[in-house]
Formats: sequence, C-alpha cells, structure tokens
Amino acid sequence: MQLTIIKPGLLSTVQDLGRRGYLSQAVPVSGAMDTLSARIANIVLGNDENAAVIEFTYADSEFKADTDLLIAYAGEGAILTINDRKLPAERPVFIPKDKVIKLINSHIGSRTYLAIAGGFNVPEILGSRSTFITAGFGGLEGRALKAGDVLLGYDLSVVSQKILTQLSGNEVFFTSWSIPITLLLPVDRKRIRVVPAHEFNWFNGQAVVDFLSEPFTIGTQSNRMGYQLQGPALNRLVKDELLSTAVMPGTIQVTGEGSMILLMADCQTTGGYPRIAQVVAVDLPLCAQLKPGDAIYFTEITQHEAEILYLEREQELRRLQMAVQYKFL
Amino acid sequence: MNRISKLMRNHHKYLAGANNNKVVALVMSSAIATEQAFSIYYLSECAVTLEFGQSINLQLLDAVSAYNQLLHQQPFHGFNTAIPAYTTLTVLFDPVVVSQADLSGATCFDKVSNYLQRLNQHQKELKETTATRIAIPVCYGSDYGPDLQEVADLHRLSIEEVIEIHSQAVYKVYMIGFVPGFAYLGGLDERLETPRKSSPRKKVPAGSVGIAGMQTGIYPMQTPGGWQLIGRTPVKLFDVNRAQPSLLKAGDEIMFTPITEKEFIDFNVDLNVFNRF
Repeated sequence: MQLTIIKPGLLSTVQDLGRRGYLSQAVPVSGAMDTLSARIANIVLGNDENAAVIEFTYADSEFKADTDLLIAYAGEGAILTINDRKLPAERPVFIPKDKVIKLINSHIGSRTYLAIAGGFNVPEILGSRSTFITAGFGGLEGRALKAGDVLLGYDLSVVSQKILTQLSGNEVFFTSWSIPITLLLPVDRKRIRVVPAHEFNWFNGQAVVDFLSEPFTIGTQSNRMGYQLQGPALNRLVKDELLSTAVMPGTIQVTGEGSMILLMADCQTTGGYPRIAQVVAVDLPLCAQLKPGDAIYFTEITQHEAEILYLEREQELRRLQMAVQYKFL
Repeated sequence: MNRISKLMRNHHKYLAGANNNKVVALVMSSAIATEQAFSIYYLSECAVTLEFGQSINLQLLDAVSAYNQLLHQQPFHGFNTAIPAYTTLTVLFDPVVVSQADLSGATCFDKVSNYLQRLNQHQKELKETTATRIAIPVCYGSDYGPDLQEVADLHRLSIEEVIEIHSQAVYKVYMIGFVPGFAYLGGLDERLETPRKSSPRKKVPAGSVGIAGMQTGIYPMQTPGGWQLIGRTPVKLFDVNRAQPSLLKAGDEIMFTPITEKEFIDFNVDLNVFNRF
C-alpha cells in the first residue's frame, strides 16, 4: 500500500510507541503523544500495536491513495473526509486507489493517528520508527512530513489480509464494528490524575492546595517536548537545588518562578527542576489531546492505584486485540 | 543550567580541599562502595529511581556506575533500561512483565524495589573498572571558537594560555543529558570559570566546545545556546550509525587536544581506531 502527502498540515510525523533503549545517552522516548489512539488505530487493523503511524496535528492535511488502502484512524485532532463525506474513526476503512483524503477540524482535540494495514515502512533507528526532529533521525528522514512525501506500508498480517478481503471493492467501505476509545476514557477528561512526585513536599501548603484544586491552562508555548501550564505560582518551602536526574513524559516540573511544565513525548531525559507530580500513564493520552487555552484540573491518586490503572488498561487492550483476531481467524 | 554550574563550583572547592579531613571521608566511602546504600522512590508506573546521595562527587559517580553495571549483569524479569545521573540511577521496567514475575512484593514497585535492594546486599566484589579515556581534537579560536578572545580578555590571559589550561585538564563525564550525546563534565580549571553570554545564540554549530560557569562541554548537535564558544571539534558526539551512538558515557574521562584549522578540515575519523588511550 502507498500514499502521497499532498498537504502536510501543521506538524505531521511518523511515530510508533517510542524509543526506550537509549535514554542513558539522552535520546528521548518520542513516539505517539496519544499512545492510546495510536494503539487502537493499529489494533483494529490487525497490526502490531507498535506499528508506525502518522501523527497529524490538528487538521489541514491531505493525502492521496496511490494504491487501494486499508486504513484506520483515531484521536480527536481531525476528522478524515473524502469528497466532504466523513470517514468513521476507530475501525478499518477501505479506500480505493486515487481517492484524496482531507482532514477537517474536529474542534475537540489536537492529534489524530493514521494507521495503514501492515504499518508504515520507515527504517527502524535505535530500536524505533519514531521521528525525533531535534536530532534529525527516525520516521521519514528524521523530519516532519512535507508535500510530495511517499509513504509505503509493510506486508499485511493474516488478520489485516482477511479484513482487506472483506472490505475491498470499488467504493469506500468500512466495518460496522469499531473500538470506541471513549469507552476506555474517564467521563471527565479535563481531570488529570497524578501521583505526588519525589519533591512534592518541597512545596508549601498553599502550593499543594492550589495544585490540586485550581484550574491550569495550557500555554501557547506547548509542543511535543512539553506543555506550559498557566495558573497560580507554586512556591516552595525547600529551596534546595535539585541535581539533574531522570524525568519521564508525564513529569510535572516547577521552574524557579513557580510555573509548571508538563513533560511530553519528546522531553529531555534528565531535568533539574523540582517535580511536584507525575501524571498517571493512562491519563497521558488525555493530555496529548489538549490544546493551548484548554483548562485542566489535577487529582491525586496513590502510586498503587496508578499501577492498577496501568495494568487494567494493558489487559483491556490485550483483550481488544484478541477480539479482533478471533473475529477473523 | 545555572544551578549546575554553582554545584560544580562547590564540587571543585570540595575536591580542591583535598588535604583536610574530608579526604578521610572520601576514602572511607570508597572502601564500602561495594555495598552502597541508596533509597528508592517512585518515578512512574514504569520506573523507580535509586538515590545514592545528595552531592556531586566522584565516589557517587562510581557507586552509580558500579550498581548500573551490576544490574545489567543481573537484570530482573521485565527490566528495560537504566538512566544514570549525578546521584541517581533510574530503572525502567515493563509493569506487565514485572506483575507476573516471580519476585517478592505485592505491587510492581515493591517487587522491583525488593529485587534492587537484595541485589545490592548480595553484591560481590566488583572488578575495578578502568575509565575509558578519550582525546577530543579541538580547533580553538577563529570562526570555530568566536568567544575565545572574550574569555581570554575576561581572565587577563592570552589566547594561548586559555587553550593550554583548557587542553591540559582531564575531565570526567558525570552524566549524559540535555540532548542526545551531551556530556556533563567535571574538571574545568577555576581560572576559566566564565559566565554565559548575556543573550544566547539562536544556532550553535554541532561540535562547538563551550564554557558556562564552571562547566565545559560540547554541543552534540546544532541547538540554541548561551555558552561561551572557544573551539569546535570535528568529532561527531552523537551518531545513530554507531553501535553506541553517544561517543561519551558516564564515567569516561576526556581530554581536549588542540588541532589546526587544516587538521579540522582534513579530519576524517575511523571511530574504531579513534584516539582512545
């Protein structure tokens, strides 16, 4: 399968679930910001969930089907359309050769993930196909996609092949079933669960109360490396300097002026700002869909609760993956 | 990174005072380095951090390196990777695998923590590891080091003296962070301590060697930066085509070797015969 990018939009990159083997050499995790959407898009197609996908930021992108395509998309940055007709998300969609697919604004989230059956064929660099633009490697030539880029897919899995056989024809066609991501998400998506971080006690009482009750707004200086969070300044009791140590996507750092930075997929591997909290892994996909101006609240849970949520989410995804396979094998 | 330079400065005062009682403490801690105490804290569902101490010093660097090596020799089921830093080693794991692994503890955090503590207690004498020492060729001054004159003027030194002081020291790699392949180095001579530029450059070329406070370092890739640039190396600090993409790793020792502009331009390194000694 093959497609050509006609309009890349604001920022479109090839990503998988990230790169973890070289963190000690300061190579960031990268990968899809909203890993849940990327995984669902792959799972419904019968792909390995780590297969490379395209991460689109907002709408305003276009691509052309150079061959018949079997695709799936997920995430709330945009809606895929063909001749102004919306394509349903979170399920396999067959698109005949030569169709042009346009992304239109969803006004809900910010990132959309396009998977094709087999996964996008880009070289694996340092154990991952994810693009890391700062250092210029991964994905397609280490850069954002641009007009004219041609992307190929790998060979199809047995399951993907069966889905394709079921849907292929002369028209756009899709399954009646889907995996709605909303079923996996909490009702209130602006309430982000966190576990207190190691320096949590460095902050004064007011800071802790503000952190867990006040709204924080995503600033305009937000990107794949991290989000600026605007709200009350968080002041410290302990003014010690923190020696640089490992940080992760989801770590919330507080700068000297008391403002917060939520680290995201392309964040540095180490940081020297005190950390007030760690966003729980299952809520990071919610953060990935936030736009500048969106307001969020933080709710504290225990590290044990976070771990249970993590394991339950993994179990659920494993079940969904098996359900798709049983359907076709 | 201002605070790092402050800490580095303290560190060097500490080492500079090597004739007083502190030396005794250093020697003792080195004697028990085979069973180094650490505390463990939760970083995320997939990671715990071992904290070996609170200050920048060579003994902690050795303790972190030794334990990192031990963990790689005897990993637990579900272990992914580890990230060393000044005083910490962060251990990443797959919670799904750990939750099913035969390790004692009710939660993944407990299972991993118990294993890491036990590993420490059962640690046998580690073989003395000799640090890799790497010579990095640097073309000082001119377009390669546009701030060399400024640095010299500030310290009332000649350009030659700055080069001599900078290239005679042995620097220790404490950790890799900031951008891929960037080494936090200790060992800058106090005579070269220089504040950052008042406004950072938008583009610092890859390979630039700079000074900021008590730190010296090499930019692995073109990034914005506020360090005083005194030279540039033709060596690639980070290259995805190498088995170890980052040229440097925590624990390495490096020296800077002055080269001419012609040598810089002609430089064509085969990394397998690269200047290791």
